[in-house]
Amino acid sequence: MKKEKMHSAKTKRFINNTIVHTVLGILAVVWVFPIVWVILTSFRAEKGSYVSTFLPQSCTLDNYIKLFTDTTILDFPKMFTNTLVIAIFSCILSTFYVLAASYCLSRLRFKMRKPYMNMAMILGLFPGFMSMIAVYFILKALGMTEGNLIKVALVLVYSGGAALGFQIAKGFFDTIPFAVDEAALLDGCTRWQIFTKITLPLSKPIVIYTTLTAFMGLWLDFIFAKVICRANSDQYTIAIGLWKMLEKEYIDSWYTCFAAGAVLISIPIAALFLYMQRYYVDGLSGAVKG
Amino acid sequence: MRRRAVALLMAALMTAGLAATGLTGCGDEGGGRESVRLMVWSPQGDQSKDAGEWLQTCCNAFAEEHPEYDITFVYGVADEASSAGQVSQDAEASADVFLYANDNLTTMTDADALVKFGGIYREEIEKTNSETSLASVMKDGEVYGVPFAINTWFMFYDKSVFTEEDVKNLDTMLEKGVVAFPFTNSWYLPAFYFGNGCTLFGDGTDASKGADFGGEKAQEVTDYLIDLEANPNFRIDDLGSGLAGLRDGSINAIFSGSWDAAAVKEALGDNMGVAALPTYTLNGEEKQMYSYAGTKAVGVNAQSKNMLPAVQLAIFLGNEYSQRLHYELESVVPTHTALLDDPELLSDEVVAAINETFNNTSILQPNLAEMANCWTPVENMGKGIRNGSITHENSAEQTEMMNETMNSDGI
Repeated sequence: MKKEKMHSAKTKRFINNTIVHTVLGILAVVWVFPIVWVILTSFRAEKGSYVSTFLPQSCTLDNYIKLFTDTTILDFPKMFTNTLVIAIFSCILSTFYVLAASYCLSRLRFKMRKPYMNMAMILGLFPGFMSMIAVYFILKALGMTEGNLIKVALVLVYSGGAALGFQIAKGFFDTIPFAVDEAALLDGCTRWQIFTKITLPLSKPIVIYTTLTAFMGLWLDFIFAKVICRANSDQYTIAIGLWKMLEKEYIDSWYTCFAAGAVLISIPIAALFLYMQRYYVDGLSGAVKG
Repeated sequence: MRRRAVALLMAALMTAGLAATGLTGCGDEGGGRESVRLMVWSPQGDQSKDAGEWLQTCCNAFAEEHPEYDITFVYGVADEASSAGQVSQDAEASADVFLYANDNLTTMTDADALVKFGGIYREEIEKTNSETSLASVMKDGEVYGVPFAINTWFMFYDKSVFTEEDVKNLDTMLEKGVVAFPFTNSWYLPAFYFGNGCTLFGDGTDASKGADFGGEKAQEVTDYLIDLEANPNFRIDDLGSGLAGLRDGSINAIFSGSWDAAAVKEALGDNMGVAALPTYTLNGEEKQMYSYAGTKAVGVNAQSKNMLPAVQLAIFLGNEYSQRLHYELESVVPTHTALLDDPELLSDEVVAAINETFNNTSILQPNLAEMANCWTPVENMGKGIRNGSITHENSAEQTEMMNETMNSDGI
């Protein structure tokens, strides 16, 4: 009797697991499928944008080589460096803005605190590109829409509004006990020291999260870059470059390179994620004892 | 009102400038060279080293021809399709001289961003262009650009499958080989409707006449298209499948433009044939297909601070020298009458085919604002036939619906 019950529980679990794994397997295929396809296309030797087979008939590295050597029409290495420079600077800036604003709103008490949070909430309801045209004309008035200043302009555009997205980081800071801050204050720390020496080391996961989202947002942004770069092809970011490759005149000869480019731009994000992932693990362990 | 005043002022300035050049032509050598900064936009291909730097070469030649200016050229990248958008958004920060596709003309004239050519410049343009190509850059009797290239589509075919006699009729071709047509693209599909007497805006310029894609003549075409789509030798060319088919031999003819010429040449080699559009047989009668045709033209920004040199440069970029160079470097098909009479150029079959298409089997693509409503309904017609929702039973009412939507502003 007992044995039979155990047996049926085992069978039940087996059936459950089978169902769950099948569903997960199907979902995994659905999710991974497009990525696999892009990677396969990036190694495809046949030309053109249309193929009748899923697997490439023959493989080659030429698409990657062409991306970096054939720079007269679409200068991919230049676009890649442009984007990387912009991404690094605005990532640093906007991470700092977000964390600093969150810390202030979580720890300090001042008159504008509530109004500021309400305002940020309301502004956050509007999509960012609503202000695009206004932003463009402001930058133009400042003379930042030509030459290398475009890079500065883009850094400003991407990091400028960052402090409005404080909610998640502030929520995290709120969970760190005030007692820690008070202890530090008693020991003679300034607010800045508390922020850099105590709060930040305790909030690694959220710092990582902020950095990653800040980096990815602009790494993948197309619309602002397009509006601000206009005809300055030497300032193009990769998003614009990849889009150009799909235009009528270029699509036939650049399609496989487009796929190669898509694979390449995912590398910095993947690398950043892999490197930072390990900090996700500890977080709050060992913050306050007793 | 104020804008109009500015435009008038520009025109006045230009004529004044004209007189000035006439005068400076005789006296005053060297010395007071006027320093000028000209921003010029073109597609990347025109500036790339591999393709021979057409733009830079022409600009430098222009500078040599005009020693009275000390010119600094600033080059930017905007292709003919997107430059109109950029210029009309912010003319002040846009190029002085740029290339645009003539179907974008209204976008820029609506934003008062395009200079009207007058005086000797207008005469020059009139003298060197055919009536059709001149009409493509005109609006309300004014000339807004210097045409430099023909923009239309035609037919590429495999000579080993079709003879020159075959390619005169689409239905004959379908008996002998596989033909692909961009059936779901509304730049191509109207070709059949134009063949049976459908019109857009009268002769293409009268907005009040609207689109005439209804009635029995249009329904007949819809019925023909339904049968065409069902033909086992017919393929719908979508997302580059036609070109891929030419490569692997599963398709023997496609409809496309000069931008695909190099790829087709590579795929077919010596078997590449090029021809103007064929006829098709509708209820026993031969009907000619007509493609949309347009030109690419050099335009001058109405906000340019150096109006006179800008206008002169635009004329220069559209002159015989520049157009010949453009053809030699990038196979851009010229509009200049002197070049189109040149037997050397006409021996190039792509040039010959485009020229024939432009002159005989095309209609000038209307550049009226109302044209914007005409794209989606036709595209939906093609898609409806493809997915089987439009059949012989409902073709009459579906055709009427297409005509109605083409004539309405509804979104």
